[in-house]
Amino acid sequence: MSTSPLEHARGFLPIFWERVRSEQWRRGVALVLIVLACAFPLIDGNEGDLDAAANATAFATLALGLNIVVGFAGLLDLGYAAFFAIGAYTYGIFSSYQIQPEWSSFWEPFQWLGFVARMHTEGVPIDHVHFQVSFWLMLPVSAVVAAFFGIAFGAPTLRLKGDYLAIVTLGFGEIVPIVARNTPYLTNGAMGLNGALPPQLFGYNFGVKSLPFYYLGVALVVFLIFVSTRLKDSRIGRAWLAIREDEIAAEAMGVNRTKLKLLAFAVGAGFAGMTGTFYVAKLQTATPEMFTFPVSVMLLVMIVLGGTGSVAGVVVGALLLQLLQSWFLQDLTEWVHALGRFTSIGFLERIDLVQSIELIFGIILVLMMLYRRQGLIPERMAVAALTHAQQTAVPSRGSKVGEFKPLHSQTVDSKRPLLEIRGLSKAFGGIQAVKGLDLTVMPGSIVAVIGPNGSGKTTFFNLVTGLTRPDGGSVTLAGEDITGEGPHLIVEKGIARTFQNLRLFPNMTLMENVLVGTHTRTDTGALGAVLRTPHVRHQEAAARERVMEVLGIFGNRLMPRREHLAKTLSYANRRRLEIARAIITEPVLLLLDEPTAGMNPTETLELTDQIRGLRDRGISILLIEHKLNVVNEIAEKVIVLDHGEKIAEGSPAEVHRNEEVLRAYLGRTATAAVRAAAAS
Amino acid sequence: MSVFDVLLQQVINGVSLGAMYALLALGFTMVYGIIELINFAHFNVFMVGSFIALWVFEAMGFSGQSQVLYGLPLFGVLLVGLVVVMLVTGFLGVAIERVALRPMRGFPGTAPMITTIGVSYILFNIILLTIGANTLNYANPMPNVRWEIGDATLRLREVLLWVVSFILMLGLHYFVRYTKMGKAMQATAQDQEAARMMGVDVDRVVVTAFFLGSALAGAAGMIFGLYYNYTSFIIGYTAGLRAFTAAVLGGIGNIPGAMLGGILIGLIESLGGQFLEVRWTDVIIFSILVLVLVFRPAGIFGRMAPSKS
Repeated sequence: MSTSPLEHARGFLPIFWERVRSEQWRRGVALVLIVLACAFPLIDGNEGDLDAAANATAFATLALGLNIVVGFAGLLDLGYAAFFAIGAYTYGIFSSYQIQPEWSSFWEPFQWLGFVARMHTEGVPIDHVHFQVSFWLMLPVSAVVAAFFGIAFGAPTLRLKGDYLAIVTLGFGEIVPIVARNTPYLTNGAMGLNGALPPQLFGYNFGVKSLPFYYLGVALVVFLIFVSTRLKDSRIGRAWLAIREDEIAAEAMGVNRTKLKLLAFAVGAGFAGMTGTFYVAKLQTATPEMFTFPVSVMLLVMIVLGGTGSVAGVVVGALLLQLLQSWFLQDLTEWVHALGRFTSIGFLERIDLVQSIELIFGIILVLMMLYRRQGLIPERMAVAALTHAQQTAVPSRGSKVGEFKPLHSQTVDSKRPLLEIRGLSKAFGGIQAVKGLDLTVMPGSIVAVIGPNGSGKTTFFNLVTGLTRPDGGSVTLAGEDITGEGPHLIVEKGIARTFQNLRLFPNMTLMENVLVGTHTRTDTGALGAVLRTPHVRHQEAAARERVMEVLGIFGNRLMPRREHLAKTLSYANRRRLEIARAIITEPVLLLLDEPTAGMNPTETLELTDQIRGLRDRGISILLIEHKLNVVNEIAEKVIVLDHGEKIAEGSPAEVHRNEEVLRAYLGRTATAAVRAAAAS
Repeated sequence: MSVFDVLLQQVINGVSLGAMYALLALGFTMVYGIIELINFAHFNVFMVGSFIALWVFEAMGFSGQSQVLYGLPLFGVLLVGLVVVMLVTGFLGVAIERVALRPMRGFPGTAPMITTIGVSYILFNIILLTIGANTLNYANPMPNVRWEIGDATLRLREVLLWVVSFILMLGLHYFVRYTKMGKAMQATAQDQEAARMMGVDVDRVVVTAFFLGSALAGAAGMIFGLYYNYTSFIIGYTAGLRAFTAAVLGGIGNIPGAMLGGILIGLIESLGGQFLEVRWTDVIIFSILVLVLVFRPAGIFGRMAPSKS
């Protein structure tokens, strides 16, 4: 069969992207880029261009660091330059002539280690100390110091929501340069640090030459790209993205958001600290003006331009803006000046386009936000939609009992109640949402909670899963008191949930959405994710296998779409994905909040089957449901809530006959009518 | 000078600064109360306002501080300046909302705020590139009338500043409290969806908030110029951040809170400058910003509009 040229052309781009995405190709492209970067000084021998390129690498590393905070974890940091400053001054103070204490025997061990030198000046009776800690040592030390400040500053502030956090970081970003300016003893104030030392490598002094700094900068960029990509595609990175997409859902899936936000802040600050050291070593000075708000905004523009969250994007964004500033605008200014002289228009002769860079920044921010929020190189490439045939394939029902391993590994005592709730209460202001609720769920059962709207069903779920703290009462899971524990701990103990109004991570793939659910059952840390040890590799592979198994419960509803973004799913599939995400946390008890809402009768039937299948595989189920046929079909026990109180409990048939229930649902008159109809 | 006189003098200065910050803080607080947006463009609407007022005075033939007026002519000139600057900056605010922010309404997260940073940069650099980085001497028709209270001095411009700010704030208060549009604003701040369903045109409410907030920022810009006798492209950032701190201190979204917060920040600035060192003033103010947001995010007077997230 021959293909027409047009078809061929249309097919080419997706195939090309497909290849770019594949691991091998990506490695190939990366290698070519590294070789090009290394060859650059040979191609362009101009010292000024090389210097600009070396500076650009510093901003690329900063953008990579800020991207961890803003792009991955979704924490808008408007004072990121403060961490840059901290790293810069950490190095600057410990390897310059800035502080010169008098020499004493105290310094001798440090002299022996090579951290300080004894400095003798002719005619001065007392010798002084010259700090000269090695650049190579200070590079990681500055990263750690900056990360420490990141944690110290982040710990109290990271619980603030988006825009408040932005303002607090802005405040911090203002304070740090002012403190630097006002403490001349340490920083020499606005005059700038005195003679920070350039790095030395095997006796070779970097001096003020651009070439070695350029190569060092390229090496740093490559290293931080490596760290960023490894982190992003790991348990840690997925938890960050989950927090960015939906904090509450992330926590309900077992992510400890405080810890992970702090980690993002620390890693981001660490990148900045390292860059600060590099930058000071290159400039051999540091002034407070190098770290003010415009620098933080410039980094933000780089990220927004390149693509928030996209590692390749932010590097491209940073390089583009830096080179625009130092190469293109300067050349353009000269051309415009020449044009001005030629046409004798005074305005053109004098204009300095480099000055307009901030105007360009502003325009870029507004235009990107209005028309292309995903940036030049988006974090995600579009995935080809399913073909018509794939979409209309007859859904195969999953949940074949006994074919799979049990869904959790905890052993449950079948005689003892699994969940025991005593006197649970919660009031919001004057409204008693839940009042003195008692409830027992035996292992292996399905219990339904029904009740009119506003009767406290969802609040009840929030109380059990730790999203809301109860005023009184107790929640006991398999004999362990879990009242008032944090949501992520409750997930770890074995209770998972879905949400009534769907809280997926919209800009993550199905695969990643479900992988977030494995967070509590895996232990890969940041370092492990970067090093990708055999243990981590194994764990990741096992987690992915597990995801496939869980997606398989829903037959071919989700499986063919596993590389699609969650936001592209249909409503019913979103519900299924939420259930899959909850199941993979290996719960003993699953709380489903209106799982069949928005599903048609066939889909409802399918899901009812699947819920029963889950029970048969060892997960007890507590569900809120409005469709009474579903409740009648699968629930062994029904609890009826009204105004936060339990008004009835029993088998579905018993509850249907209950007077109170009829009254709560239908009102007094209708109840009488029903009774009259039944009597006649 | 006795300690008491020093204190009195700094209170006079502080209240003057505070009145200006309060006018500026009102714009932040109104917009935040209604659409939960921190509007960084507001910083430079204020700065642009001070230039527009300068041009209005220059157009009326004033330059520098040499030509002074008294009595009714003074009031007339000031009133013309005030009305023109408020109209121009008001419509500047409306334009910003229409062009840059309305398309993003309802977007989750910080995208709209990032847009306002962009708009702020654009305003800032347009002035920088066209006017230049030089500080401009302000055209100021106010006579240098002063009263001595002990060793402290109270100048006419301070009294005028207080009166103008007070009238504007009172006007805003009555507008929000008693007019139909004001009630629509309150309703929208409480619950945008519910307000929409009750027939409130939310777009108009938001535009009105931008207009009023920006107009007040313009008035504050003119007051800045008349008070300090200069203006520059750079004044927006510092004053804007201080005013924002004032809004946060008073509980962002809370209109009377913004007024009180403004006065407090003004007093902190003047008294802090007197009794500590001026170079640490900003550290104090930004520390207040950070500490209030961390420990009392609803502000010292609490929040009027409920948080919607």
